[in-house]
Amino acid sequence: MIIENKKVEFLVKNTKLDQIAQKPYNKEVCNFLVDFSKKIDDKNIYREFPDIKALSFWCRKGNIDKLIKNNISNELRVGLGIIFHITPSNIPTNFMYSLIFGLLTGNSNIIKVPSKKFKQIDFICKKIEELLKKKYKSLRKRICIIRYKEDEALTKLISLQCNARLIWGGDKTINEIRKISLNPRALELTFSDRYSLSVIDVKSLTKINKNEFSSLVEKFYNDTFIVDQNACSSPQMILWHGKYNKKVQEKFWSALADLVSKKYTPPDNSGIEKHNQLFENFISLKNINNFKIYKKQIYTVSLNNLNKEIHKLRGKWGYFYEFNTSNLKILENIVNTKYQTLSYYGISKSYMNFFFSNTALRGIDRIVPIGQALNINLFWDGYDLNKVLTRIIDIR
Amino acid sequence: MINKNLKNLGPFSLNIEDKKIFFFDEIKKLTKYHYLKSSEYKKIIDFTNKNLFFNKIEDIPFLPIKLFKEYELLSVPKHKILKTLSSSGTTGKKKSKIFLDSDNAISQQHTLSKILRSVIGNKRLPMLIIDKNPNKISKSKISAKSAAINGFSIFGRNHTYMLNDMEEIDYLTLNNFLEKYSNNDFLIFGFTSIVYENLFSKIKSVKLKKDFRNGILIHGGGWKKMENIKVSSLEYKKRLLAKLNLKKIYNYYGLVEQTGSIFLECKFCNCLVTSNFSEVLIRDKYLNIVKNGQKGFIQVLSLLPSSYPGHSILTEDLGEIILDDKCGCSKYSTRFKVHGRLPQSEIRGCSNV
Repeated sequence: MIIENKKVEFLVKNTKLDQIAQKPYNKEVCNFLVDFSKKIDDKNIYREFPDIKALSFWCRKGNIDKLIKNNISNELRVGLGIIFHITPSNIPTNFMYSLIFGLLTGNSNIIKVPSKKFKQIDFICKKIEELLKKKYKSLRKRICIIRYKEDEALTKLISLQCNARLIWGGDKTINEIRKISLNPRALELTFSDRYSLSVIDVKSLTKINKNEFSSLVEKFYNDTFIVDQNACSSPQMILWHGKYNKKVQEKFWSALADLVSKKYTPPDNSGIEKHNQLFENFISLKNINNFKIYKKQIYTVSLNNLNKEIHKLRGKWGYFYEFNTSNLKILENIVNTKYQTLSYYGISKSYMNFFFSNTALRGIDRIVPIGQALNINLFWDGYDLNKVLTRIIDIR
Repeated sequence: MINKNLKNLGPFSLNIEDKKIFFFDEIKKLTKYHYLKSSEYKKIIDFTNKNLFFNKIEDIPFLPIKLFKEYELLSVPKHKILKTLSSSGTTGKKKSKIFLDSDNAISQQHTLSKILRSVIGNKRLPMLIIDKNPNKISKSKISAKSAAINGFSIFGRNHTYMLNDMEEIDYLTLNNFLEKYSNNDFLIFGFTSIVYENLFSKIKSVKLKKDFRNGILIHGGGWKKMENIKVSSLEYKKRLLAKLNLKKIYNYYGLVEQTGSIFLECKFCNCLVTSNFSEVLIRDKYLNIVKNGQKGFIQVLSLLPSSYPGHSILTEDLGEIILDDKCGCSKYSTRFKVHGRLPQSEIRGCSNV
């Protein structure tokens, strides 16, 4: 692997990546992640960056042990070799998850972080560098973290040396990078723009006690506002399961608005943008039923019917669409490959299992309880990365 | 629609209390008018203010300025449109489109004239334009810049463009102009940053045969570029005075969406002032009216837009209302300052990467 280039800034330097992959869940890698979890565990940092806290929590020993256990199989598998990760420009910690997935599956990794600087990225890379200098010298040949401004020639150079390329980003970015070819054997995985929604059972909502109610609202808040409602997995719409219940549905939005007023600092242009979107909806949407603004922060637009274009209606900073339905079968009419996460409340997991086993949909890869929408793991966008990022050695 | 109440009204003839009553009355009528005439506007109002009942000026609905980029908003049939003005949006971004029928083109121009005459007098003065000659403009579709040059041109005569096609100072033309006209009042017009760049930064005083002591400069079109070089309105005036002996300098704030009712600086207190035809409100990021002169987004209201529903617009410009009444202009006007435009904020999330 050669990437000596003046345009490249190395955050974790290594110009010679190991081309020979390991078996997944290599002990040293697992120990490294657990130590990394401890190393970034810092209350002062957490205050400013809750995403670092989430990262530390992800890498904790309990989670890594669980992953190892879940992955026990009789197949003989090894990583693919070298993975080139192109990570998204506005979720600072995403690059680290991509790296973790590459490491756990036994690969060597070259990570391109966004050209825009983030404190979180510099912090994480510093900590990795510290670990590689002392206890984990042998892992250095598996990690290289770089930053450069868009540069086709450079991306091409790296692309031709990797066994797999992972691209996280918007559809436009992905299409641009896809023009740059790979080796015939190399694999490409893309994580593009997706659309997500929530399903809340109205009846269940009327029955729960006060604590459960506020806990649900807080979970919904975490799924949404930590990333300005702009992550692929953050809900854009609530599908209320059951008959319209003005009191309880408005209570939910009001409680969310209260929490948002307390905890969330929206960017200065968010009010104007939401207002503009509302007026555009008034002019353009034929299926708009009504709207409501809660505490000047939460905008809700209720719809008369759902159509195949619903996924194009996206909000930010607290702008939601809503629709009541007594039958989840309605998903058959709207879901396409853009749909990623369905987060739910008030419906049992076993029902979800039954429903999705018996319903043919073109999309929706994740069905998770509300509160877990942003929990990233090795099952992502419908892929099992344990399998996709490894090759099987078939011995008979 | 020609509003007869406006036709013979001077720009600063009403004291502030009377003006507020008059303005609120007229803007209510105009809101109802656009409700009846613009189907898009009606759709919005049907959701937000269906009974068309407004208690105070703050209740008048406002359209975010972006809406004019996404939609063609009209209150007259499209075949009646005489001119379409477009904003000076940066490349790649959508531009606003403002549709003027002949009545509205006239009333906007008429009002602009009334406001400007309050500082330049009634005579047409020789006019120096700090720009290159935008001679290749089409008549039906007009950019904000040529619309402004065009709109202001009628207040002058012997129009002379100070820059050549390469956007360099044409000293021969400039000196000819100064030699002929600079012994009496003459008018200078240009965009804030272009004026500064040429009349302060680039111009070589030694090459000038006369100075600018009798000039009246009208400049506008944003402080965005000026903020980078950190020059305040006051400093701007000081520097031009020092360099060219230019004494009369008026900044204006205006939008292509409301070209007639521009806001001119008061010559005594340097604040921008409203006229009988205009009003401003300041809103915070939640779009509430701010308290006690705090900074926020400028909402501009104008009695002039008749062929399009642009009479109440929320801009993305930041400003503040000056509450003290130390200056005489406070007897007639709401006074305010503009603090530039909101920078586009960073968005978290994996979409739109």
